[in-house]
Amino acid sequence: MSMDISPLLKMLVFPGGLTLIALGLLYEYIDRKLVARFQNRVGPRVLQPLADTIKLLAKEEVIPAGVIPLFFVSLPIIAMAGALTAGLYIPLAGFAPSFSLPGDLIITVFLLGLLTICIGLAGANTADRFSLLGATRTLTQLFSYEAPFLLALLCPAILADSWQISIVDTSVTGHVWLALPLFIGFFVAVIGLMGKLELAPFDAPEAESEIVAGALTEYSGRGLALFRLGKDVELVIGITLVSAFYLGGLSNPLEFLLKTLGLLVVVAALQALFARLRIDQVVGLWWRIGALLALLQLLIVVILKGVIL
Amino acid sequence: MTGPHVEKFIVPIGPQHPALKEPAHFEFTVDGETVTSASVRFGYVHRGLEKGAENRNWAQALYLLERVCGICSHAHSTVYSLGVERLAGVTAPPRAQAIRQILLELERIHSHMLWVGVAAHEAGFDTLFMYSWRDRETVMDILESFTGNRVNYSANVLGGVKYDLGPAQADSILSGLDYLEKRLHYYMKVVNNDESFLGRTRGVGTMTTEEAENLGAIGPVVRASGVSRDLRVDAPYLLYADFPINVITATAGDLQARFVVRIQELFESTRNIRALVEHLPEGELAVRFPRKVRAGETVSRIEAPRGGLFYFIKSDGGENPFRVKVRTPSLRNFMSVIVGAVGHQLADIPMILSGIDPCFSCNDRTVIVRREGRDGSAAPSESDSRKDSSS
Amino acid sequence: MTTESLLEEAVQLIGDKAGGQSVPEPGRIDLTVEPARLLECVSALKDAQWGYLSAITGLDLGPQDGHLEALYHFCQKAAVLTLRVSLPRDGAVIPSICGLIPSATLFERELMEMFGIVCEGTPDPHRLFLSDDWPAGVYPLRKDFIVPIPAPRPEKGTAE
Repeated sequence: MSMDISPLLKMLVFPGGLTLIALGLLYEYIDRKLVARFQNRVGPRVLQPLADTIKLLAKEEVIPAGVIPLFFVSLPIIAMAGALTAGLYIPLAGFAPSFSLPGDLIITVFLLGLLTICIGLAGANTADRFSLLGATRTLTQLFSYEAPFLLALLCPAILADSWQISIVDTSVTGHVWLALPLFIGFFVAVIGLMGKLELAPFDAPEAESEIVAGALTEYSGRGLALFRLGKDVELVIGITLVSAFYLGGLSNPLEFLLKTLGLLVVVAALQALFARLRIDQVVGLWWRIGALLALLQLLIVVILKGVIL
Repeated sequence: MTGPHVEKFIVPIGPQHPALKEPAHFEFTVDGETVTSASVRFGYVHRGLEKGAENRNWAQALYLLERVCGICSHAHSTVYSLGVERLAGVTAPPRAQAIRQILLELERIHSHMLWVGVAAHEAGFDTLFMYSWRDRETVMDILESFTGNRVNYSANVLGGVKYDLGPAQADSILSGLDYLEKRLHYYMKVVNNDESFLGRTRGVGTMTTEEAENLGAIGPVVRASGVSRDLRVDAPYLLYADFPINVITATAGDLQARFVVRIQELFESTRNIRALVEHLPEGELAVRFPRKVRAGETVSRIEAPRGGLFYFIKSDGGENPFRVKVRTPSLRNFMSVIVGAVGHQLADIPMILSGIDPCFSCNDRTVIVRREGRDGSAAPSESDSRKDSSS
Repeated sequence: MTTESLLEEAVQLIGDKAGGQSVPEPGRIDLTVEPARLLECVSALKDAQWGYLSAITGLDLGPQDGHLEALYHFCQKAAVLTLRVSLPRDGAVIPSICGLIPSATLFERELMEMFGIVCEGTPDPHRLFLSDDWPAGVYPLRKDFIVPIPAPRPEKGTAE
């Protein structure tokens, strides 16, 4: 009896699993280093994110009083699993996605949202005040950026007549970068990505000068390590998605590196440029400006498509 | 978790909290994200300095009181020196007064730049935080090359100062100020024009002129609310009568106005330092100071970076102070936080708190550090139990 | 307005309510006030918007003298007006001025815990600076509180 091990490899080593985690740690390092340099700091060393993770994994995980232990332990695992699963549907490193099915764009965005929901639930699960406030803010922010971000990603999908990531990716390859004609959508997508990743200036859910570490205040050890890894993976996936859709597709590893890193530089610069927005400002910004812009872009795309094609 | 019958949801801030660089305990009662009441508890860094000063002679107390605050240490030693000198009928020579004033203004620069960084950090604007602290090193270097220390310069002695200002140091001060002024113009632009930063500062922690008067606020806080209250002008000491400064005020009374007032004050400081360095009086650095100070009491006040610093000094004619009362500007301004916080978003609290540039070590000065069980008179039971356990 | 005229104005406001006055140094006037008339004086100053309460100093004149003093310093420009309230060391009670000047609460809390002067009617009588396990009835800034000097630590290995 022979067994096909290739799906297992795909899930555990490449492109899912180890590769995704390694890339995530690397991109976290690059992001932190860039922000540090923009702020005139030295910044971390290249292995710092890995060292942090290993250290956290080796630490005891304290389960605080007043939580439901099952949720407390399982939420980080679900979050991490969601993020890693999402990695299977994206053209990581320029290769075709491991799995592809119609509508996998929605699945990917949902799986990324799962991570945020898990963080929010994890915060709501503990009895700590900072966690509760952080959880409220995390979920509030989720509801504000999720719709515009998805709408911004739908614009290229509508042009490609498919909600399948690999088809959108190939359809935009070779053409002019969609970021130029659809600059509004690109703008919303990048800002939405930063909101999704809770990067400054959208880091109100974990504003350390107000609510310590937000929803994850009570987490330590393995749970915290998994959440952090999940966020790193989310960073890679988000950047890959946006650059695949708006920066002319990803057809080989070199293109992948150049485009995603270029986008990372932009994201890092934006982080250093602004003061943190208050949660009410975030919500106001997204619903008053972000959602409108995304809808406007969608309208333009639909009309143009109807007129030209 | 909180039943419907529970109305209060208290968010404690401190004694250990990332928003506070020093320990104090605040309790903010919140409704959703809006603060409905606030209370405060200090005392986590008490060192018993007021009592300690009574147990030391006049000169020793100078060095003790310099350690009330790490940031405005020279302000404390100057206000004490001025008071004690007045009691003893001694006047420091003009050159010493000029050097004291130069140090006071340099200290104001480093204190305000520190505050700009901390306040920017509370607003989540770490870039400004990093930049202002990098540039603050310039003034720290000046102070270090001048006195040998970055803080606690111990430049004052009773009757004068220890360190002379030579031509080389004068040059380094002037060139350092050139660089600082350039950077200050840049910060002025940032706090006035950066939209995301304005979103966190404009209209936050607003104190109207009337409120500021009623609360008795002092320092840059009250000047940002449109009240001209500055002891350097109201009650000139040292050489401020000959080398005056202009009082900077703003009308808005919010955090943004405090940023503007503090940064503009620094331009006044640099101008003042330049004038002093260029017209430094000649003469002695210090005069003899008697061992005993004749009986009497005095109120000594100067304008520290955070506001008017108040000392009440009483002598009974002996070698030690009879009583030294220290009222730091932060304590006077804390009420503005407690009152000003109500009705604001929880997210703005760190900004309101840091808006007054609180200095907790300054507040916490009056209590004896008591090693547990060694204090027979105060806690007999504890000392008894210690004897039991050690035997 | 000169400092002298400011002080004159203050004396006109509350001079009749005070027991005696003295000028300890230029720019200052001390008025001796009975505890019972303190509120009247503060209220007159407040109504005329004369200065702001800069500090409340507690003063222990020592067990021989037998008196504590509470000094209310009001500052306006360069002028410092001090209301001196003399109190017996045992059972020192003074009315709280927080009803008139709410921001005095921190000063009053400090006065209460450091000197054992009871500010009657102060809204928050909790300790401000002293630790929670500080023994009741011990007031560190009174003269008869002797700063305990810790005994030197026994050398390691020489313990009995």
